[in-house]
Amino acid sequence: MSDEPQKGGYIRQAWLVIILALVYGAALAGTQTALGPRIAENKKNETFHQIPMLVEGADSAKTEPVTVKGKDGKDQVVYRARSADGTFLGWVLPTTGQGFADRIDVLIGVNADVTKITGMYVLDQKETPGLGALITEEDFLKQYRGISTDKPITVVKAEPAPGQILAISGATISSDSVTDIVNKTIENLKEPIRTLDTK
Amino acid sequence: MSNSQPTAQERFINGILPENPTYRQLLGMCPTLAVTGAMEPAMTMAAATGFVMISANVIISLIRGLLKPHLRILIFTLTIATFVTIADRFLAAYMYEMSKQLGSYIPLIIVNCIIISRCEICAAKQGVGTALADGVGMSLGFLLGLGSIATVREILGSGTWFGMAVLPEAWPDWGIMVLPPGAFLTLGLLLGLVNWLGNRKKSAGTP
Amino acid sequence: MTDSATTPDRAPALHVAPSPHLAQTAFHTRGMMIDVLVALAPVLLATLLVFRWHGVVQVGLCVLACVAAEAVLCLLMRKPIAVGDCSAAVTGVILGLSLPATAPWFVGVIASVVAIGLGKVVFGGLGYNLFNPAMVGRAFVMLSFAGYMGASAYVVTDSLDVLTQATPLTMAKQNAAAWAAGQIGPENMPEGLADIRQFWPLFLGTVNGSLGETSALAILAGGLFLCLRRVASWEIPLGMLVAGFLCAALAQWIKLTPLTALQFMISGSFLFGAFFIATDPVTSPLTPWGKFAFGAGIGVLTMLIRVLSGYPEGVMFAVLLMNGAVPLLNRWTIPRPLGAK
Repeated sequence: MSDEPQKGGYIRQAWLVIILALVYGAALAGTQTALGPRIAENKKNETFHQIPMLVEGADSAKTEPVTVKGKDGKDQVVYRARSADGTFLGWVLPTTGQGFADRIDVLIGVNADVTKITGMYVLDQKETPGLGALITEEDFLKQYRGISTDKPITVVKAEPAPGQILAISGATISSDSVTDIVNKTIENLKEPIRTLDTK
Repeated sequence: MSNSQPTAQERFINGILPENPTYRQLLGMCPTLAVTGAMEPAMTMAAATGFVMISANVIISLIRGLLKPHLRILIFTLTIATFVTIADRFLAAYMYEMSKQLGSYIPLIIVNCIIISRCEICAAKQGVGTALADGVGMSLGFLLGLGSIATVREILGSGTWFGMAVLPEAWPDWGIMVLPPGAFLTLGLLLGLVNWLGNRKKSAGTP
Repeated sequence: MTDSATTPDRAPALHVAPSPHLAQTAFHTRGMMIDVLVALAPVLLATLLVFRWHGVVQVGLCVLACVAAEAVLCLLMRKPIAVGDCSAAVTGVILGLSLPATAPWFVGVIASVVAIGLGKVVFGGLGYNLFNPAMVGRAFVMLSFAGYMGASAYVVTDSLDVLTQATPLTMAKQNAAAWAAGQIGPENMPEGLADIRQFWPLFLGTVNGSLGETSALAILAGGLFLCLRRVASWEIPLGMLVAGFLCAALAQWIKLTPLTALQFMISGSFLFGAFFIATDPVTSPLTPWGKFAFGAGIGVLTMLIRVLSGYPEGVMFAVLLMNGAVPLLNRWTIPRPLGAK
């Protein structure tokens, strides 16, 4: 074998590899068929579970994804939130942006005519534990609720006026980043969403 | 040569302490450093690695008579990759939060050198019973390694263990312990401790 | 221990000892450390005047904790207790002076234990350590307790006025974006920014900051004494000041920051780092050009961190990074023997 590894042809050399590949492939196909739907469900739920918190009175099951073209020309998925009886309530905008350490994934809830933020949720972040990571806390996120989308939100370090966000002490950059993500997303999607069907 | 191969029992014992993958062989350092910030991810990682290691060991041992020397690594990798994918899908389906937290470290079990070294050293040469014992022993050793580091890091870094508060509320969390430097510091100090204990035992045994 | 190989019956012809390597044999580690303590006296005095009892408590705590940690760890490692060489006390003073005035007691204590334990003893004691022990300790608590060590921790409500202002570098960082965008300039500076751009408060030290870093005057006095006594190598502070000044001038010129190059040099812990931290003989290079390059590297990295990163101050990380480069600098700058080709 060491002299002529090809002796007897490739099949004789590799039959075990081929058979194993077939068996493993079948096993993986089986796994995927069995678990795939559940995984897809998990991914969807991650966003959908938050929807009642983002748009008050909304029902996860009645909410549906819609594709909208933002001002920057890119297609983006937003969620049309409805209550259990099907009444249209508002929108949920999944978005992402650069934080202090890494990307921050945010869900923004807005009311039906996109004039007010109704809720915020941080899906994923890797900010500094104990400082920047506090952006996921309700104490920080609740500040965004009720803010008008007319003009960009600003961050201050002390005594926030209505419409301003009080930065997390020691984590100004993370606080700025979240606010920046919100401002950019609203700016990008505000007008396009208003043109969407709201039935 | 075959006479000198360790028995199943020796394989099992070796994996846990004398040849502990973390503290003696220093293998699998990537997950050891990356997912030991808290007990939960560390234990999930140890369980997933253990599942892959035991399954791969058993399969390789079963087909060891058919292995061709120049194709064996390919077959090891194929087998390991299959079980890693199964573990990955399983976590995504039943422990979604954890699978998101562990991220790419689950697929990276494929390149965990503990597993391939066990296939090469033990499973490709010895019977199913021994390979199984070896896989279980090594998995327990890896669990011990990850668990000890994660225990120190989670308790000092968050004041909790498996998410349960173990230190008083006033405890100032040592943020560095859950950050990457904490992983290196803890590993280094524990490694030193294990070596120190080992040396002391050795010198006590041979006065 | 009767093995003749380990205990030769006569003294070796060449004595090999860990650094600090000293030219005069009468000049021992202890004498050197006492010189450092003398040089630190004006800095301590300035700290006392600016921060009052906050400074006494913090520095005292760190010295006690460092000396205690050294004694206990030496005992555990079954080594002769090296407290007598005063190096632990020096580490304690420098560490204490690099902390914020109001950091809670455990911050100083943990930093001290880490400085001595992880920074020095695990490497084998004084002379074997790769990184500046005080900075190892400080980096540990900085990353652990960002809430007590970060920029916001310096500003507290206190009867001391100085503690209620932002530190100069934090103020500069906060206004850097607006300055770069041209929204504020020399004509329309916010009040706080105008205050920290005054020369005399920065020079005399009546501004907020880490305990020992505020008074440029006191640091220069102590630092020059150290250089004259040849305890500190003048090449290191010179390299750091030259390189730091050039970088700061560049940053000022392209309007990245509201501070001038001179203000950058006398604010934050730049001078304190240049004279008291970077000059640690154990963790700095041996050759003259190596020392200069080491200082220059710290100067450049410090300015990079100050101007371009999220942190307002970068001396600590710059020193630690350059400590890691010391073996390389030593190798690159071996002086050519006279007559060699």
